[in-house]
Amino acid sequence: MNKVLYYKELKRNRKNTLIWTSIVVAFTFLILSIYPSFSQMGDQMTELMSTLPQEYARALGMDEGTWSSIIGFYSTYYGIYITLLIGIFAASTGATIIGKEERDGTAEFLLTRPVTRSNIVTTKLMALGTLLAVVYSTQTIFAVLGMNLFGDDVLWGHFVTMHVHGFVLISFFTAAAVLFSSYLSPKLNYMGPVVGMIFGSFFLDAIAKATDAVSWLGFASPYYYLQLQAESGTLEVNWGSCIVLIIIALLMLRAGHARYLKIDIVG
Amino acid sequence: MKAIEFNGLTKFYGKHRGIESIEFSVTKGEIFGFIGPNGAGKSTAIRTLLGLLHPSGGSAAILGHDVVNEGVQARLKVGYLPAEVDFYPEMTSRELLQYHAGLYGLENGDIKIEELAEYFELALDRPIDDLSYGNKKKCAIIQAVLHEPEVLILDEPTGGLDPFMQNRFFELMESLNKKGVTVFFSSHVLSEIQRMCDRAAVIRDGKITAIEDISSLLSKQMKKVRLVLKKKAELSLPDGFQNHHSTGTKHNFDYVGPTEVLIRWLAEQDLVDVVLTEPDLESIFMNYYQR
Repeated sequence: MNKVLYYKELKRNRKNTLIWTSIVVAFTFLILSIYPSFSQMGDQMTELMSTLPQEYARALGMDEGTWSSIIGFYSTYYGIYITLLIGIFAASTGATIIGKEERDGTAEFLLTRPVTRSNIVTTKLMALGTLLAVVYSTQTIFAVLGMNLFGDDVLWGHFVTMHVHGFVLISFFTAAAVLFSSYLSPKLNYMGPVVGMIFGSFFLDAIAKATDAVSWLGFASPYYYLQLQAESGTLEVNWGSCIVLIIIALLMLRAGHARYLKIDIVG
Repeated sequence: MKAIEFNGLTKFYGKHRGIESIEFSVTKGEIFGFIGPNGAGKSTAIRTLLGLLHPSGGSAAILGHDVVNEGVQARLKVGYLPAEVDFYPEMTSRELLQYHAGLYGLENGDIKIEELAEYFELALDRPIDDLSYGNKKKCAIIQAVLHEPEVLILDEPTGGLDPFMQNRFFELMESLNKKGVTVFFSSHVLSEIQRMCDRAAVIRDGKITAIEDISSLLSKQMKKVRLVLKKKAELSLPDGFQNHHSTGTKHNFDYVGPTEVLIRWLAEQDLVDVVLTEPDLESIFMNYYQR
């Protein structure tokens, strides 16, 4: 790893990271702060849930437990919004952290310095991992604070499971974005494909959960393999899926790394 | 030791030729020109030399280091001034140069940055995005020489610089060359090549068509001659004259050959006026390639 490049990448992305962290933390705190109001309406909310179409509730990971415990309440928002938000941040940063140099013409500057391409790509991936860890850990810390502040009898085991699963999912999407960006034109705006990939995966899983007839669709989505909602009462880390997804993510990073070593910088 | 060696270097973009079997070398301490029309392959050769492009065949070396297998060692000793300046727009010149110094592991980077910025009158603390093209070029020149490279690779180096700064740039290059720095100089501007270079290679359609001493290249250089005679007369044109057109006492023609032969011939004519002009580089190329 090249320390000069590593710190420069962190500095270059600090504003973007700060903005996304603030959004995710504010959102986390906002949803946890409204939980006490919902929990006071427990019976009414349970009644309301029973009027919802089962498919709809299943797709969004809701059941009667959603409103009766803070972990159930948090898990619904965590699964739908927070992983999507962090996923979009991480994947869009992953897609641009290397490709941006080529798009902006700065690759010519960087690649004519006495640093190997392999070192450059590895360093940028390390910086990407650091940025992702900063956003994710900050969100997790504020979620813990919010849980303690606005709820009681928190099922911390469920919380840890959700966050382990979430981190694996986000890492998977980030690696996929790095791989895709290495094959796409640097002039392309990556945001569209990145948002498409994450939302597409999410909705594929939601549709598969909602309708038994198309449940097979879920196999194509990484969301299918890692449960994020605590509606089922029990929630444990699915280590098998985690390991498989991490291995696929590492292979995608390796393939993206190899691809970047071969690219011609035409100018 | 050779500063730069091209050993059959070839680069194809798919089926399209970039450069083909380029073969020449630049001696250490030399100022070497690289001349060719647009699209001839100058930038492809330079970019392949610097590891931005992967060669399709052949090899190249800088100070004995193969540019593919020992690219880091080769680039460690090279300063590169690109034709188009694309730097990080969010950085100031100082930040960019400090970043550059960091990547080269320079210890006294800040002092040298100040010295060179003063020499080129560059404001260091303005964002690069706010700089004029000329000031960006100054920043590019500073980053090319900051780490005291042994070999300088300059691609159209003076574009965007005013004549005063061009002069400073050439003075700096000459002083670095006196200290032993090799300069590989790609340019369209013939007067720059004439001023700076000992030898030059001519590239056309991706292939080297000539490698000449500059004095030899100049002796082959065409001059446009316009003269007015006192009386209408038939001219006896010696070798080296071509494209002769005349209207009354006015004659226009091109001349290729030693300048002293032309001057002696002109002295023998009964002249009212004479104008000698240096043709543009393209005319010289056309003439050169036709020979």
